[in-house]
Amino acid sequence: MTLLSVEDLRVYFPVRTGKFGATPAVVKAVDGVSLTIGANETLAIVGESGCGKSTTGNAILGLAQITSGTVRFEGRDLSELGSRDRAQIWRDMQVVFQDPVSALNPRRTIAQSIAEPLEIHGYPKAEIKQRVDELLALVGLNADQRDRRPKALSGGQRQRVVIARALALNPKLIICDEAVSALDVSIQSQILNLLMRLQSELGLSYLFIAHDLSVVRHIADRVAIMYLGLVVEEGPAEQVFANPIHPYTQALISAIPLPDPKQRNSGRRIILKGDLPSPLNPPVGCPFVTRCPEAQDRCSQTRPPLVVSSDGSRHSRCFVHSL
Amino acid sequence: MSLLTIQDLAIRTNDLSLVDGVTLDVQKGEVVALVGESGSGKSLTAMSVMGLLGDGLFVDGGTIKFDDTDLTQASSTTLNRLRGNEIAMIFQEPVSSLNPLLSVGAQVAESLVVHGRASPAQAYTKAIEMLRQVGIPEPESRARQLPSELSGGMCQRVMIAAALISNPRLLIADEPTTALDVTIQAQILDLMKDLTARSDTAILLITHDMGVVAELADRVCVMYGGSVVEQGPVDDIFEAPHHPYTQMLLKTLPRLDEPPKGALFAIPGNVPSPKDWPNGCRFQSRCDRPSDRCQTRPLLQGSETHRFACFHPVGDAS
Repeated sequence: MTLLSVEDLRVYFPVRTGKFGATPAVVKAVDGVSLTIGANETLAIVGESGCGKSTTGNAILGLAQITSGTVRFEGRDLSELGSRDRAQIWRDMQVVFQDPVSALNPRRTIAQSIAEPLEIHGYPKAEIKQRVDELLALVGLNADQRDRRPKALSGGQRQRVVIARALALNPKLIICDEAVSALDVSIQSQILNLLMRLQSELGLSYLFIAHDLSVVRHIADRVAIMYLGLVVEEGPAEQVFANPIHPYTQALISAIPLPDPKQRNSGRRIILKGDLPSPLNPPVGCPFVTRCPEAQDRCSQTRPPLVVSSDGSRHSRCFVHSL
Repeated sequence: MSLLTIQDLAIRTNDLSLVDGVTLDVQKGEVVALVGESGSGKSLTAMSVMGLLGDGLFVDGGTIKFDDTDLTQASSTTLNRLRGNEIAMIFQEPVSSLNPLLSVGAQVAESLVVHGRASPAQAYTKAIEMLRQVGIPEPESRARQLPSELSGGMCQRVMIAAALISNPRLLIADEPTTALDVTIQAQILDLMKDLTARSDTAILLITHDMGVVAELADRVCVMYGGSVVEQGPVDDIFEAPHHPYTQMLLKTLPRLDEPPKGALFAIPGNVPSPKDWPNGCRFQSRCDRPSDRCQTRPLLQGSETHRFACFHPVGDAS
């Protein structure tokens, strides 16, 4: 069953450029993104900085204003909900950001931080303490740490607190925006294992926004690759990693340095020329045309349409490589 | 003879020891990676080579020899003669490391002028040539631009050009690609490989990314809890690590080149902060093979090329 569906989402930000901001312009941070997430499923959005992956997450959460398109949660269009229904949706949809230090109030104990959503949503006082202890145990923290402040915890423990707080209201979907990126490598695996365990125990769905493809390969069921505001390829993680179709996906996967000195100089790497084009002035046709090693004339004239594979599982936008 | 030899380096604040027991050497033309997690002391070690430790931090023992000069004892005149000349450094954040009000061409040229090795005009010409070598298109016009007019990847190329223009014998690169996107990181790694192949500049590469290490390093030095726990040739470290921390660190990485197999291997516990360092081995609380002996601090042992600080090494360490 589809839990979340995003259709043709666009998020444009007005900016002013030129001398003293004389020229108004528009940054098309998200320019026509469609996604679905099923129950108990992990969809990863991957891409480099400025590709619009975080803006997509923020738009779903209602933290960025949607220019056009719809976001449906359990079939209900979020833009048409009244405030009461909206409050219910906010229980069902939570977020974990990258930096647990700035996500936690330094003056509050971790029990207070975890209790906050429960208080806001009117839980009886008597139940809150018990629920907080339950949540601490769930994320692998000791009950005797409940009265500590974030400063007394390590980075990994703080991220556990943030996850406990996100779980407080029994959400169905958690948006993880670079949730493990700021952690040390020896801690990152602990948190990934925690997220995977919570998913199987609680039947959660994740929208996992990340730039680290090794992590994504491990945690995602499906993966969507974004470039300059567009999803250029989407499909089951195993298939996308084993057999990437879009030239950008191919280059992105090949660019990751592998922790294996024997792979050095193996020639597997595709080095892209140049930088990401400015989102103020994106290419007319395919967003990747300026760096694509296989670009043809038509790629710079028309935006390639989204093509769906015969079994419906894979999507890609490329004239040159078809599914 | 080694270009850089660090022996038993210790760095501390007034009340806390942050680095103790760093011993490593860098040979001419070699890339040595200094690997570790946050708080392991890798960046402090690099900063102390440059004599750039921040306020309240000082070297509390050991020597840092560059050729025959002990940098821990050197006068500021000597350090100024070496810095930006024979020893150059590039940092993680290219944008904040460049002067926002000065054209990039002038910044690349600066070290030649400061060290009296060229007139401003000659240095500027050389700077344009250097910008070309690091792969900046249209270097003549780019040289006149400010850092804010360039992308992050371009700024990192500018910083590399500025570091290499004086043809240093040692380049210290502190997380040079961490702030960059992967496709740009691939460009910069490629550039660094190319430049080292063409000159005999040695690199001390500070990073936490084992992928970058595997890509670039000749030798690896693994740090944990303020000291070096293992060092050896890159192939040995990845294929047959002897220190349990190195072994577990490699095992815990999610692999891009392998399909996922359920839960990841995870190192238990947390990276201890310097005020919680135990006596003896600092990895003992997270280790899978601790014993009473680990209450004593293990010293680096092993062969000439591959050394480790552990009483219970992994694999055949004889």
